[in-house]
Amino acid sequence: MGEVIVITSGKGGVGKTTTTANIGTGLAASGLKVVLVDTDIGLRNLDVVLGLENRIVYDIVDVTHGNCRLKQALIKDKRFEGLHLLPAAQTKDKTSVTPDQIRELCAQLKKEFDYVIIDCPAGIEQGFKNAIAGAEKAIVVTTPEVSAVRDADRIIGLLEAAELHNPKLIVNRLRPLMVKRGDMMSIDDIIDILAIDLLGVVPEDEMIVITTNKGEPAVLDNNSRAGQAYRNVARRITGEDVPLMDLEAETGLMYKLKKLIGFK
Amino acid sequence: MKKTKSSKGKKLFFKNETNGVNDPDINTDSVDTEQEKGKEGETVKARETVPAQEIKKGRQKRKKADREPAQDESGEFLPGTAIPEADEIIAEENEPAGQTKTDSRVIKNRGPWQEAFADDNTILIQRTVRSGQSVRFDGNVVVMGDVNPGSEIVASGNIVVMGALRGVVHAGALGNENATVAAFKLQPMQLRIANHITRAPDGDYLTPEYPEIARIKDGVVVIEVYQMGQDRQTKIG
Ligand SMILES: Nc1ncnc2c1ncn2[C@@H]1O[C@H](COP(=O)(O)OP(=O)(O)O)[C@@H](O)[C@H]1O
Ligand SMILES: [Mg+2]
Repeated sequence: MGEVIVITSGKGGVGKTTTTANIGTGLAASGLKVVLVDTDIGLRNLDVVLGLENRIVYDIVDVTHGNCRLKQALIKDKRFEGLHLLPAAQTKDKTSVTPDQIRELCAQLKKEFDYVIIDCPAGIEQGFKNAIAGAEKAIVVTTPEVSAVRDADRIIGLLEAAELHNPKLIVNRLRPLMVKRGDMMSIDDIIDILAIDLLGVVPEDEMIVITTNKGEPAVLDNNSRAGQAYRNVARRITGEDVPLMDLEAETGLMYKLKKLIGFK
Repeated sequence: MKKTKSSKGKKLFFKNETNGVNDPDINTDSVDTEQEKGKEGETVKARETVPAQEIKKGRQKRKKADREPAQDESGEFLPGTAIPEADEIIAEENEPAGQTKTDSRVIKNRGPWQEAFADDNTILIQRTVRSGQSVRFDGNVVVMGDVNPGSEIVASGNIVVMGALRGVVHAGALGNENATVAAFKLQPMQLRIANHITRAPDGDYLTPEYPEIARIKDGVVVIEVYQMGQDRQTKIG
């Protein structure tokens, strides 16, 4: 029996899709069976980020409407045997599926896969409700910005209300130098507010943009700092104890201490 | 007084002309459509998923070998399998644009010779079809504009794009294997004719700068240079 994890944030553009693609690919790279489910119906992206757009024939709406069997709609990744994508529909909208249908879908998928990872759309409406319906665990993605953190806080509240307890946090697009200068929220600042466990810190990295455009997740690029961070996150998800990487750490506690003693 | 009238008449005449009054060859069942679906798609920017093309001179044929079947690796979907929603195509017709006082019989009565080679329903779309938008039509579809990635055009007949075709197209969606897809820039994400499916190759690939046409030949989808006049001839024979 696999595990169903939803990747959510409230705010758009903070890196849910990037995170879904990279964690999924990272897990599949270590030999696990993974399916990524794009629930951003009408604004699908995950297929593009994975470089699989040209393979889509059936999508999630076709499955829930019974136009095809679930297996027919699963697209096999071109790199990893164990990685699959269930694409969203692009010409429909969020109301074309219901939370009950997604719950049923997840129940089926987790029989076959070690991890079912759900890419949630932005917002707190129907798309969000669909995305979390079948999930057992949640990962909240935020960027070190007040507005994104505010939205993440709102989402954590909604997750708790939906009985999805102990969500984990990923801070994305962190810029250590800006944090050092005091121009960006630090990890500590964020955790102070959100008060949930930290699963990883992903630095701002232009390799993300490059690899995203190429349809090849950064997690496969050994030279990418963000890729390294996502590899760490994937290992933590499987239960390994991986310490925060340098860059992740140097922007946390150390900074706060220095600031207290008057260093800058 | 008379002058004003005649100038008015001239304007109308000019308008009619574009509607084909003076050209019996044009199938006047054609309607202008404002068909659009997926409001959300309206705001989506076209993604740059199609690589910049390079001119490759002397290129005559792009065979199916360049392309691979879609969603096949799982062994679940192979070309030849039924196409989703193929039977759901609905014709949406609007009132022809540019209503004039002209006697409609002038354009509605086809000559008997016309039946021989005038195609049935055709819609003309004078806009860019954007991501999230879907055009489904029981007949031919002509787009004067681009068809962007993330959009789809499904037609029971032929599809002609007077622009760049980068989305998903399905011609002959009710099973007509003679249907064709032609475009000034034929760079579809996926191209389906009847129940054959081809998809764009992964990564960068060359696309020519001239119009091309896709059709089924000997059971495979082939893409060729669009030869002016040739299709007209083969159609009659
Ligand atoms: N760590 C990062 N460094 C640089 N760019 C990033 C990073 N994470 C995400 N991005 C960029 O941010 C944009 C939004 O990311 P995306 O994953 O689509 O967000 P969401 O799914 O939450 O809307 C994308 O263009 C992506 O390439
Ligand atoms: Mg997204």
